[in-house]
This record gives sequence, C-alpha cells and structure tokens, in this order.
Amino acid sequence: MASVASKLYSDDVSLLVLLLDTNPFFWSTTSIKFSQFLSHVLAFLNAVLGLNQLNQVVVIATGYSSCDYIYDSSLTPNGNFESSGSGMPALFGSLLEKLEDFAAKDEELSKEEEHEDRIASSLLSGSLSMALCYIQRVFRSGHLHPQPRILCLQGSPDGPEQYVAVMNSIFSAQRLMVPIDSCYIGTQNSAFLQQASYITGGVHHTPKQLDGLFQYLTTIFATDLHSRGFVQLPKPVGVDFRASCFCHKKTIDMGYICSVCLSIFCEHHKKCSTCGSVFGQSKLDDVSSVSNKKRKAPDT
Amino acid sequence: MPQVKIIAKNFMDMVASLTAIKLDKLYNNVFICEAILRSLPPLAKKYVLQLLYTDVPVPATMLEEWVLADGVSKHRAAIDRMIQLRIFMETTDRKKGTSYSLNPTFQKNLQKHIISGGVLPREPMNSNNAIKLPSLQELETYALQQWECFLLQLINSGQGEKLTGISSSMMKIFQRGLLSQRDRDGPRLTESGFQFLLMDTNAQLWYIIREYISNAEERDVDPAELISFLLELSFHVTGEAYNLNTLTEVQRNTLKDLADLGLVKLQQGRKDSWFIPTKLATNLSVSLADSSIRKEGYVMMETNFRMYAYSTSKLQCEILRLFARIEYQLPNLIACAITKESLYNAFDNGITSDQIITFLQQNSHPRCADRVPSIPENVTDQIRLWESDLKRIEMTQAHFYDEFPSKDVFEAACDFAREWRGLLWEDSKRMRLVVKSEVHNKMREFLHTQSK
Repeated sequence: MASVASKLYSDDVSLLVLLLDTNPFFWSTTSIKFSQFLSHVLAFLNAVLGLNQLNQVVVIATGYSSCDYIYDSSLTPNGNFESSGSGMPALFGSLLEKLEDFAAKDEELSKEEEHEDRIASSLLSGSLSMALCYIQRVFRSGHLHPQPRILCLQGSPDGPEQYVAVMNSIFSAQRLMVPIDSCYIGTQNSAFLQQASYITGGVHHTPKQLDGLFQYLTTIFATDLHSRGFVQLPKPVGVDFRASCFCHKKTIDMGYICSVCLSIFCEHHKKCSTCGSVFGQSKLDDVSSVSNKKRKAPDT
Repeated sequence: MPQVKIIAKNFMDMVASLTAIKLDKLYNNVFICEAILRSLPPLAKKYVLQLLYTDVPVPATMLEEWVLADGVSKHRAAIDRMIQLRIFMETTDRKKGTSYSLNPTFQKNLQKHIISGGVLPREPMNSNNAIKLPSLQELETYALQQWECFLLQLINSGQGEKLTGISSSMMKIFQRGLLSQRDRDGPRLTESGFQFLLMDTNAQLWYIIREYISNAEERDVDPAELISFLLELSFHVTGEAYNLNTLTEVQRNTLKDLADLGLVKLQQGRKDSWFIPTKLATNLSVSLADSSIRKEGYVMMETNFRMYAYSTSKLQCEILRLFARIEYQLPNLIACAITKESLYNAFDNGITSDQIITFLQQNSHPRCADRVPSIPENVTDQIRLWESDLKRIEMTQAHFYDEFPSKDVFEAACDFAREWRGLLWEDSKRMRLVVKSEVHNKMREFLHTQSK
C-alpha cells in the first residue's frame, strides 16, 4: 500500500461522501421536520468544507426506490463563498434544486412500482455502491487525492431484501480501507449500519436529541481520519450481527448455511439456490442427524 | 550539522505575533476567521467546531477528556496555538481551574459563515462582458512563468532577460538573507539562499510574502491590513476578473507587486482595470504541507549517478547546477551527473544531503515516482556517505585543566565532570583533563571548594 499512501495529502484533507436519507415514508413520521434536519446537515457540510481548502464533499440522496448524486463540491471550486444574494450560499442553491428534482423523480418511480408489503426502507445498497464507485474513481484519477470516508445519515429501517447488496458494499469498503460512519436517526436499530461501521472501522452513533444534530455531527463525524487516532469517539455498545436469509429476505437469528458458498436460508432446502450444491437428506426437525449440514447462529 | 535557517512556516506565525488589538481587529473579517481556522492543526480545528455553539467557558479538564492518551502532546500543541492566536480566551478560576472559551468575534463570524457563507467585498465581472478572460491553463502558465522570472532575477540579481517590475529596493529586501554582498566577486548565494531554491513553490512564495509583509512598515503600510488583504485574496475565485475600483489605494499598490510575483494578472478593460487571481494567490491560505500546485516531476535518477531532467526551464537548470554537473543540454532535456566534486561544492554552500535527496524525491519524474524507492538506494546512500566524509571531526568548546595538587583532587574532579557529562578526555598519569565549556563554571566552583 506504500504507493497509495504516498498519493495522499499529508495532513487531514478529507473527502466526505454523505448519504442522505430522503425517504418520505420515514420523514412523515419523525419529530423533526426534514427542513430542520437539512439545515443542520447543510451547516455541517459548510463546516467540513471550511476546515480545509482541499476538503471535498459529495452528497448522494438515498430515496425510496432510487438514489442519485445531488451535490459535488469539486465541481464548484471555491463556489461556496459566493452568495446568491438571499443569504443562502450558492452551493446550497444547487443542492436544494437537485434534491427537489430527485424527490419528485423518486416519488414517480415508487408509484410505478407494484406496492407490495415492502418495509418503507431506503435504497441504502444503491447509494453505498454509488459512493464506493465515486471513491474508486477518485483513487484512480490524479496522483494526489484526499482521504475518503462515507457518512450515512439514515433514518429508515433496514430493508432485509438488500442484505446481500449492502454486505457486499461493506466488504468492498473494507477492502478499499474506506471507513463508513453512520448516524442513525430513526427509532429502531439499524443492523446494517452497525455492521457497516463495525467492519470498516467507522463510527456508529444514534443521537438522542435530533434538535442538536449539528453538535453531534461536528463533534463526532467531522473528525478527520488523521485525528481519529487521538480523539475519544463513541465506541459500539453492541453490534447487531443478524443476517437476512436469501430465500425470503427475512432477518433471522438462526438458520441454515450452505457449506459450499455460505448462503443463508431460513428453512431447509434440497439444493442451494445460489451455487446449486445438493444437500444431504437430513430433515429440519431431525436434530440428531445434522451432520453434513451446519446449523448455526450467524453471529458466532 | 548546519542548521536550516529558512523555515518557511505559513505566515500564521506572523499573524500570531501581532498585537492583541490588531488581532481582534483582524477577526472582524469573516474570511480571516476562515483562513485562520484552516491554518490550525487538525485537533484545534475540531475543538473550534465543537465549541462553536457553546457560550460558556469550558473547563480544561473537560477538554482533556476528549483526547486519548496518545494525543496529549498534540492536544497541548493545539491549545497553545489557539491561545497564541487569541482564538481561545483563557480564564482561571480558583475553584474550577482553567477554562477556555472561544473569542466572541471569531465565534460569531464563524457561525455566520457556516450558516450563510461569506460575501466577498467585490463581485466578479459578469461573464457576458466584452473582455476575453484567459483560460485557467493560460493563467497557470502565466503565474509560473512570472514566478520563475522573478526567481531568476532574484538569484542573478539583475541579469535576467525579462525584468519584472519589482523595484530594485524591493528586490534588495527579498535578496536580504539569500544573497551575500561581497566587495569583489559580486553577490553570492548564501546557505539559506541555496536552501530557498530547493524548496517547493509554495514554500518559496511564503518566504517572499513574509519578507514583503515584515517590510511593510517601512513603506507606511500597516502589516495587519496587508495580511488581511492577502488572506482575503486567497478566497477569490481563480480565473474570475475583479474590478480594481473596489480596492483601496494601498491594496492597489500591493496588487501591482503581487502581479509581478504572478499572484494576480492585471487586465486593462475599456473603462476599468481588472485583476484575475491565479492559483498562487488562492493557495495562500492552504497549509504548506498540502500545496496542490505541486508540479509534475521531471528528474530521472539512474543507479550510475546520471540524472536526466526533462525541462526547458532555465531556472531548473540553475537549480540542478547547485549540486550536479551539467553535461549537456538538449532542447527539452538536461543531462547531468552527480559526482563527488559537485556534491562537495553543494555541501560547501551549506546544502545538506537530506535537502538534495528530498528535492530529488519531490521532483522525480512520474514514471520514477511510482517506483519504491523513487531514487535508487545506492545513490541516496552515497550522497549521505560523501556528506559524512566531510564531518569526521566534531568541534566542541572545551577547557583544559592541569597541575592538580594531588591524585585525590584530580580523581574527584574527574568524577565531578563525569557526573555532569562534561568529561571529554583524561590523562591520569600526568593528571590532566579536558572538560566541556558548559561545565567549566561548575567545575571551577567545585575546585574552589576542594582546595579549601
């Protein structure tokens, strides 16, 4: 990795990819309005950009059924200091405009979709992969690049059907040595985000009071990777390692694992649907003959 | 080991040395607050952000809880820096101990900046205006050319082909410390002058700007005003044109000098004049370590000590000449060799081996830069060896003692000197010893007490 390290700026220059949850199903249930939330986030972004001239911020909106880039600070060099007169920096003018377009498009797409009994989750897997693609592009272009990290601002519950995709993104982030920070503002716990931060070495935090979100964001998530070595940051209290089964996309505590490809199932199958290996004839209820098929809780 | 005399820190050190009143006045400008924030060490930046919306003083003990055990020294450095720059106000209470709060003006301005962004005192020219603006590429070439021209003039002291408009008195100021004036053989580069040439562009720029500011008072210009203008300039957008009419008289005069250095390009319109900041100007507030204007390297070093430099620049040729023998020059290539003689020459001039090696590493051709190490190991080792060859003798100031009255006194004196780590040499047969000068006073006192 020596050649990669030499391509970094020496100090604390960072590239922050922010995944913004814009799921309308979530935001209709919260105590804090989306606009209030956004004002905290924008102030935070401005603060991050202010910390270093070379800092870069990319915002990706995570909607209900789509996701898209809505802001990239590298496209408007120094632009954040020009005011469009109304007291709102030009940066945020374009961001808000794009966000509006995005929300409208997302709504249309979600209408087209057959409305099954899907949990009102956001497309986290999509935005994570977009973030990683962006970072990969930064890695490959030019000889100097800032240190990237991803911050998920997520409120919607996990969508178990995205399990495989999310896990794959997490593992590629781990390989790229990109930490995924997560700030979960919803009411439940997000196993995805806990695992993502745990595996990639990022910080996971669930703010208690949303009206002080800016303070949480600056205190915890504005810390650049260089300073993380010296600062106390919230440590994970416990990580929810539960997996989703591949057959019904349900979150399970205990299940069956294919011994060849490690696919997870909630009930016994004759054949692995992923790799096609044929399992032995032992039956689900027949505990005594669980020999060539492993039965275990995935968190061990 | 010759000391590195030029330390081109970013000029926040200079800002820190301003008087309190002037500093507080500086913080009235949003952009200066922003630039100061950027110049802080990473931990300090974090503290500022964290305390941005805290109105009450925060006890020092609480701040210490934020850092891990490994970071205590960095924590101290960050706090010291912030107190030095008067960003942190220190209050000491007998009960609660020391506590810190942010400078209110600084805090207020930064809050405003983070929420609504700053507004520059001048608007860029409309793009539909008739004047054709130079492209970013052209602007960068212009800036570097101008800068190179300035450097050539600086070292050649007036022999450059194209003269910049910098007055000779100003040039003298810049040359102070870099060139030494000797009566007969004309000006010669001093040690620090050589080191200056090996620094990267941003560091050189800072050095010059610092000289420029420290000289401001002689020109009846308030240094604080100059600093604030320079910092403000760094927030302008590269490649946009700004109207000269928006500037004060002093600023306009300053701008003329800056144009000669390549920081801005002046352009004459039909009615008004405009200035266009170049990358050199907008990088002023970047901390030194992260100069984004780092140029592509051009030097290829081979294991046989031959060096090929893909460059057309006269300046770069001059720089290589400092420590290498130029063998021949093609239109786009300089072929040279590093020899013992050429290096001894460099060492004589006060350049250290480490400086040469870092220069080679920083400027190595992209193809070579990908290799690890980018400079062949045998070359770097040899450069270091040749340098250490010159340093076989170490000089230490010392005092010589003899004619001790008795063996006991002599031995006691030896032990005493050893205790203070000052004993350099002893000859117990003839009762003589040599002691470092630092210990001489203590030694004398000791011997007085012994003789009583």
